[in-house]
Amino acid sequence: MIAGRLSAVSGVQAISLSIAPRRGAVSLVEIAVLASCIIAAAVVSNRYAVDIMIRTFLWAGLALAWNIAGGYAGLISFGHAAFFGIGAYTSTILLLNFGVPPWFGMFAGALIAACAGALLTRVCARLRGPLFILSTLAAGEVVRIAALNWRSLTGGPEGLEIPPVPNVVDMVFKSQWPYVAIIVAYMLAMFALSAWIEQTRYGYYLFATRDNEDGASAIGINPSHTRTAAMALSAATTAIGGTLFAQYFLYLDPTHVISPDISFQFALICAVGGLGTASGPVFGALIIVPLSELLRGLLSQSTSGLHLVIYGIIVIVVILYFPSGVSGAIGRTVSRFFPAGGFAARVQTEKYDAQA
Amino acid sequence: MSTILQLLVSGIMLGGIYAVMSIGLTLIFGVLKIVNFAHGEFLMLAMYAAWAVVSATGMTTYTAMAVVTPLLFCFGLLVYLLIVRPGIEKPHLVVVFATMGLSIAMQNLALVAMTADLRDVAPLFGGTPIKFGPLYFRVELLLGFLISIAITLALMMFVKRTYIGKAIRATVQDRDAAMLMGINVPRLFLLTFAGGSALVGIAGCIMLPLYSTFPTVGLNFVLIAYVVVVLGGMGSMEGAFLGGICIGIVQSLSGYYVAPAYGQMFYFLIFLLVMIFRPNGLLGQRGAAMVGINE
Amino acid sequence: MLKLDAVGRQFGSLWAIRDVSFTVEAGEIVGIIGPNGAGKSTLFNLIAGAVVPTTGAIRFLDRTIDYGKPYHVARCGLARTFQIPKPFKQLSVRENVMLSALRRHHTPRQANSVAMAIMEFIRIGELAEASVASLTVGQLKKLELARALATEPVLLLLDEVMAGLTPPEIKDMMTVIASLPRRGVTVVWVEHVMMAIMNVAERIVVIHQGQVIAQGKPADVSKDPAVVGAYLGEKYAYAAR
Repeated sequence: MIAGRLSAVSGVQAISLSIAPRRGAVSLVEIAVLASCIIAAAVVSNRYAVDIMIRTFLWAGLALAWNIAGGYAGLISFGHAAFFGIGAYTSTILLLNFGVPPWFGMFAGALIAACAGALLTRVCARLRGPLFILSTLAAGEVVRIAALNWRSLTGGPEGLEIPPVPNVVDMVFKSQWPYVAIIVAYMLAMFALSAWIEQTRYGYYLFATRDNEDGASAIGINPSHTRTAAMALSAATTAIGGTLFAQYFLYLDPTHVISPDISFQFALICAVGGLGTASGPVFGALIIVPLSELLRGLLSQSTSGLHLVIYGIIVIVVILYFPSGVSGAIGRTVSRFFPAGGFAARVQTEKYDAQA
Repeated sequence: MSTILQLLVSGIMLGGIYAVMSIGLTLIFGVLKIVNFAHGEFLMLAMYAAWAVVSATGMTTYTAMAVVTPLLFCFGLLVYLLIVRPGIEKPHLVVVFATMGLSIAMQNLALVAMTADLRDVAPLFGGTPIKFGPLYFRVELLLGFLISIAITLALMMFVKRTYIGKAIRATVQDRDAAMLMGINVPRLFLLTFAGGSALVGIAGCIMLPLYSTFPTVGLNFVLIAYVVVVLGGMGSMEGAFLGGICIGIVQSLSGYYVAPAYGQMFYFLIFLLVMIFRPNGLLGQRGAAMVGINE
Repeated sequence: MLKLDAVGRQFGSLWAIRDVSFTVEAGEIVGIIGPNGAGKSTLFNLIAGAVVPTTGAIRFLDRTIDYGKPYHVARCGLARTFQIPKPFKQLSVRENVMLSALRRHHTPRQANSVAMAIMEFIRIGELAEASVASLTVGQLKKLELARALATEPVLLLLDEVMAGLTPPEIKDMMTVIASLPRRGVTVVWVEHVMMAIMNVAERIVVIHQGQVIAQGKPADVSKDPAVVGAYLGEKYAYAAR
């Protein structure tokens, strides 16, 4: 196995490296993709292209956040828009009413979202599968309706507007570049967090709880705590993405920010990219966001909505025929060319299958 | 006094409509153990189909049912073969995401084909409500309610009396045992999915005169359908009827006494409370809450 | 080490286990046998902390077991296997075993070396990178045992580890179980494969209709008329004479 080992910053843990993307290692493919994202960000100077790039990286970071609950812990949530909205609204309300800079406001939002996520997981402690999914959907709707009707706080359906006065303290900029930097930093932080989770005991506790709760209990893992912690972390990081969203678009309203469509988007990006890996959500976002933006640009003159028809069909095809997502497909292809590189596990599995 | 009576009766009637809309979903869940996340778009399709038939031929939506129901049956068949069957033996997430992709595609296809304009049909008898003692009803609501009772009763009879119905009940309880007893489970899945879709066709015809249709009409109603189905217990038809009535009453009362905007909030809160205290629903099979735990 | 004091558990109006008392000393291999429906599984789940007793108390290492919190019981050094294996399906065999070692060894790398040693001991070392889905029943049972051992327990509860195994696999497993006390692991073992349990266990507790009807050395128990009548059947009754 080529998989090299570098000592990480923490010194406690070693980072595994592999060529092809796989769980439990940072792969050269991922590093190449992330590096080319950053280079592309630095080189491209077309305002439209940079806008697409910012959206893509923001969605990649958000999908990584969703993946902590949905992919690693198996808590498929269709209510994450609520956490996203909590993050966006908390920092914006703090900024508009109390002048608190979003740099701090986002952590307040993250804290509230973490509590909400923990509460939701506790409330739905006995639910699994479809019922859990539907409950998260209902919880998201409760938050949306609350935001829609609590006019004094949220501005109701008219939404909130952040004054477009450039100011570093308020995280409002005239140029796109500071946003690129902030959002790339967010995505990279989420990627690093995911890669870290995959290689530590906490991550393995999540996998165990996801795969078999009784089995996890029997080896000393408290499934309920594990699930709650995963959801809280996922909610908090989603909320931070929400703040960045608010600061980039400078406008919020419940129908667009807390809509179930946002939650579905988080989940579908992960599903298309590959659930439960750090590379999946990044690849998913890199494919889906630019594709739907470009298709929208291409097709908008003729017919609105056609880009989403294509998007829906892509989702169906990928889900049914590439169950481990784009990231899994890339992993298989790359490891075919570099058989020794980090995908030893899979190759060996096939050997045993052949024996049996 | 007559206000509250009027509200209760309208709520019950509205609930009947909600029950019809949800009964296909609960049937599919009970037998296949999957949630069709494109259920709302099936309803949207049914409403558009009913609208198309009505505007092309000038018949009422109730007679259009004869066309729309078989159409939705065939559509369900197609969706089952193309999307559900390839995913049904895989982890339950596959069907969740695949039907969600279908929902997005259908919604936007409708947007492309029909634009975002509202489509509706002319009310029966010029929209004059009928008077019954101190109470007033919209004719369409009353008709819809009667049809919903008829359908629920017919389905319950079907499930109790016929072979397929008994096979359905057996499969709801224990799929593996049903298979061992010689029930052709794959074919039953196909029939149930198509049959559940046909029921959505009926619901679409009942609902078109009451609400207008537009590409995202499904999302509003599917959320109600989820609440109804979970409230009644997933897989239980009597439960769906009861759940529909509950939600109808809640909506009718809260719309009058609190504010229509908060009505939705109420039933989502009820939903969450039911999930906390009776995760199997009011009339659901035991253990339904744990479905999918080790898949 | 383990002490059951008049333990009972009621399901509805039925007592699955009633007034069961016995003790297990450190270093023993205690077999629990009984006909189908005797209450073995309930007893097993009671000791593992998965089921709360209606009456009586279970003490492990001189502390009352934290009923209803199996993860807590596991952390105190009591490991169990499941009759139907419960592996983590999306992980490799090595990761499955490594996960059990993670509670004591905090980094995956340290846990890995523990896992490798245990897999060698159970003789599934060569399966380390295989996916769980590709394993046979026998291999899954071995994995189940490896996962329990990797928690480095002082008391191990085995639930029908022999069921579904081929004769050579049973022999392997018997050798492994017999060597456990030397590694400092006390064993409580529920089993249906008589040949295995009668040869390996030092003491047998016989459960019938939720109650202990006999306990003692395998040879004595198999001669006990109550046991023969209740359970062992003609073949063993004949062998006992």
